[in-house]
Amino acid sequence: MEILQVKDIYKDFSGLKVLTGVTFTVKANEKHAIIGPNGAGKTTLFNIISGKYRPSSGSILFKENEVGGLSPYALNHLGMCRSFQITNIFQNLTVFENVSAGVRSHAGLRYHLFKTLDRQSKMIARTEQIIEQVGLAEVKQRPAHELSYGQQRALEIGIALSSEPELLLLDEPTAGMTREETEEMVKLMRSVTENRTLMIIEHDMEVVFSLADTISVLHNGTILASDRPEAIRNDLRVKDAYLGEE
Amino acid sequence: MNITTIFILHGLVYAGLLFLVSSGLTLVFGMMNVLNFAHASFYMLAAYFSYSLLRWTGNFWLCLLVCPFLLFVIGALIERFLLRRVHVFGHLHELLLTFGIAFIISEVVKWVWGTAPLPIEIGGFLDGNVTLRGVIYPTYRFFVLFCSILIGFLMSCLLLKTRMGITVRSAVDDSEMVNALGVNTPRVFMFVFALGAALSGLAGVISGPLLSINTGMATAILVDAFVVIVIGGFGSLIGAVVASLMIGQLQSFGALLFPKISLALIYLLMAIVLIAKPSGLFGEKK
Amino acid sequence: MKKDYKAIQIWGLIILLVLFFLPLVARPYIVNLLTEMIIFSLYAVSYNLLLGFGGLLSFGHGMFLGLGAFTTGAMLQRIPGLPFFGAVFLGTLVATLIGLGVGCLLLRHKGTYYALLTLAFNALFYAVAIKWHAVTGGDDGLPVKRPNLHLGVVQLPMSDVTVFYYVTLVVIGCAVLFCWYFTKTAMGKTVLLVRENEERMQFIGYNPAVSRMILFTLTAFFAGLAGSFYALFFKFVGVDAIGIDMTTTALLMTFIGGTKNFFGPVLGAGFYIYFQNFLSNLTDRWPLFMGILFVLMVLFAPQGLSGLIRSLVELFRKTGDRKATRKEDHPFGE
Repeated sequence: MEILQVKDIYKDFSGLKVLTGVTFTVKANEKHAIIGPNGAGKTTLFNIISGKYRPSSGSILFKENEVGGLSPYALNHLGMCRSFQITNIFQNLTVFENVSAGVRSHAGLRYHLFKTLDRQSKMIARTEQIIEQVGLAEVKQRPAHELSYGQQRALEIGIALSSEPELLLLDEPTAGMTREETEEMVKLMRSVTENRTLMIIEHDMEVVFSLADTISVLHNGTILASDRPEAIRNDLRVKDAYLGEE
Repeated sequence: MNITTIFILHGLVYAGLLFLVSSGLTLVFGMMNVLNFAHASFYMLAAYFSYSLLRWTGNFWLCLLVCPFLLFVIGALIERFLLRRVHVFGHLHELLLTFGIAFIISEVVKWVWGTAPLPIEIGGFLDGNVTLRGVIYPTYRFFVLFCSILIGFLMSCLLLKTRMGITVRSAVDDSEMVNALGVNTPRVFMFVFALGAALSGLAGVISGPLLSINTGMATAILVDAFVVIVIGGFGSLIGAVVASLMIGQLQSFGALLFPKISLALIYLLMAIVLIAKPSGLFGEKK
Repeated sequence: MKKDYKAIQIWGLIILLVLFFLPLVARPYIVNLLTEMIIFSLYAVSYNLLLGFGGLLSFGHGMFLGLGAFTTGAMLQRIPGLPFFGAVFLGTLVATLIGLGVGCLLLRHKGTYYALLTLAFNALFYAVAIKWHAVTGGDDGLPVKRPNLHLGVVQLPMSDVTVFYYVTLVVIGCAVLFCWYFTKTAMGKTVLLVRENEERMQFIGYNPAVSRMILFTLTAFFAGLAGSFYALFFKFVGVDAIGIDMTTTALLMTFIGGTKNFFGPVLGAGFYIYFQNFLSNLTDRWPLFMGILFVLMVLFAPQGLSGLIRSLVELFRKTGDRKATRKEDHPFGE
């Protein structure tokens, strides 16, 4: 099943054309990497897919339903969740509170005036499970701003996971990380995406080639190529535009 | 015809006063992203200063010179030692601080000068009337109008032609960039804040004989100034001019035609603009 | 942590005992003071749900107190035989409905826009209140009758200071407790997300507009309730009940008390009312004292009185701990 179909997406910011016809598909359970030079529009593409911006034109089909222009929370309810390149967590809340926010949202417990959270044992258990999964069990009661950078990046992912998404979008999850931290992150990503579709924006080619089933190259606002890693590696156009610097 | 002309003139006079007050407010907001609740307090403080100075020296022109200068200094001190301190805590804190300062100034004024309205008499040629095409109109009001236009003109010269003015305008547009270019932004901030206070102070001195000096004058003009900068657009001087003219006429004719609800109408207008076009007529989307 | 809890429980009990038994022995003047403090506690607590918990600086809270107060007073004038709680209900209802309406317009912006928009509405209602002489009494104000309370067969004479106090304590006290409970509910936690990161919350499935709506309407409800009791307490409503000065009062009480702690505003309201009464006998300019205190807190102690007390308590415990040998949990921040 093609979980995500992006067709001919254009994005024009008052004259600045960032995306000029992006088309590609993502299959269910695929690990799909988006690479491309800086400024190619990768984050903008994510922003459009995840509902932060509307596309100027084109269509996006998620699980075969048109979702272009829907709000981020509507998309979240449909089964999509993203993380951010620049850490975007709830700084003054504890790690636990950061993750439980998403868990309870997924369970529908968002605006209730008469339900407290301390009795929701299933939610508490699931929250702790996710915290455990991203390796933050030891700091779960600490406020997020006290965490190290690497821990905050892990929390980023934890929050994205809390919505139990079918499609997980990770925007440069290893940005600013050391070699060791990156390796840990790759292990983490492998484990959490076993039964999920992953879309990842990455600059680190080692990460890309070790994780991805499919790589799409975004260049000058369009997809230059979208294929298996070996094919991309040998693609002359891609080499020219991007990998050629190696 | 006569009545209409008079009311139009009333509206223009008040617009001039409003412009003097709101120009500083909008510049400070555009540049520092701080809505200075104490701005109208500077207006009020200067009016009270001028009352005392006038009683002491009998010279109105001296007041016109000295009081705005006093407010310039006070404004500079407030920016340097108070506002700058809370800048790190965020916008909310800055708002709270300016609000607190406004509150304190208001109480100090009540303490020093009492709560009764104070009369001001200037004497001299400003006290009389001018006859223009059959319309008899107080000289002083023309004086107010003249001052506002003059200051407005001087300000635009300053901002458009001088180097300092260009720096200020750039800082209003993008203060981080200006900082990156090596300009001492804190000093620019302090200058603009102090200038705004001085302008507000000037308006206060001028308004004394016109609108009476009382402890409610700050709140009265503050909300109107807010309406002006919301409608005109944050950071835009042209917006302040246009909106001041609008509000001036609205106040003038509103009081004539819809006395019961004219005040409410203006606040409603402000609410509508904030909802429909928050950037105002000439403001930038922030 | 456990030590913390016990201390709080003991203090809470002491305060409750004082609240329940003091009025039996104290002068009416003191009982009235306590009543006023309780009413304003609810007002300040509801304001803090917006400011401290939601991160939204409103300059319009006074309009809800005023709406509750004027509606209660006006209804009592117009509807003969309107029961006590009927009047309270109507006052609260109007404030809530207006809160709902205004809340719909406050969905997207924060910070300065929010402050200005709420200010505009507050000014609007104030202007209306001044002019609408027929309903509000305009500049003269509105006298309010205090009806007796019929509870089944018993009739409570509400003109009695102590009786009125106890009714206020029960009703308003419950309201404050509900607000406390609210902070533990799902919605209460969602409000924190609005404060912390309104963008991110959307990406995990929350609609910030809905959250803001619910929060604003709820706080309008409680302010309106406080307003109804305000009218019944003072037996008079002037335009100052709906003016920006009333909003200012909420801000001062809440901030001085401390916005980070739920009971901070209660402390702030008590402090403010006490000093208002105490100092106003000494000087007309007691607000200057409040203003200076406020600015000093903004500059040096933004966590307010409750935060300062907390720091002091921790200081004492740390010096006490050096003698103890047990390890202690870190209390986590809010």
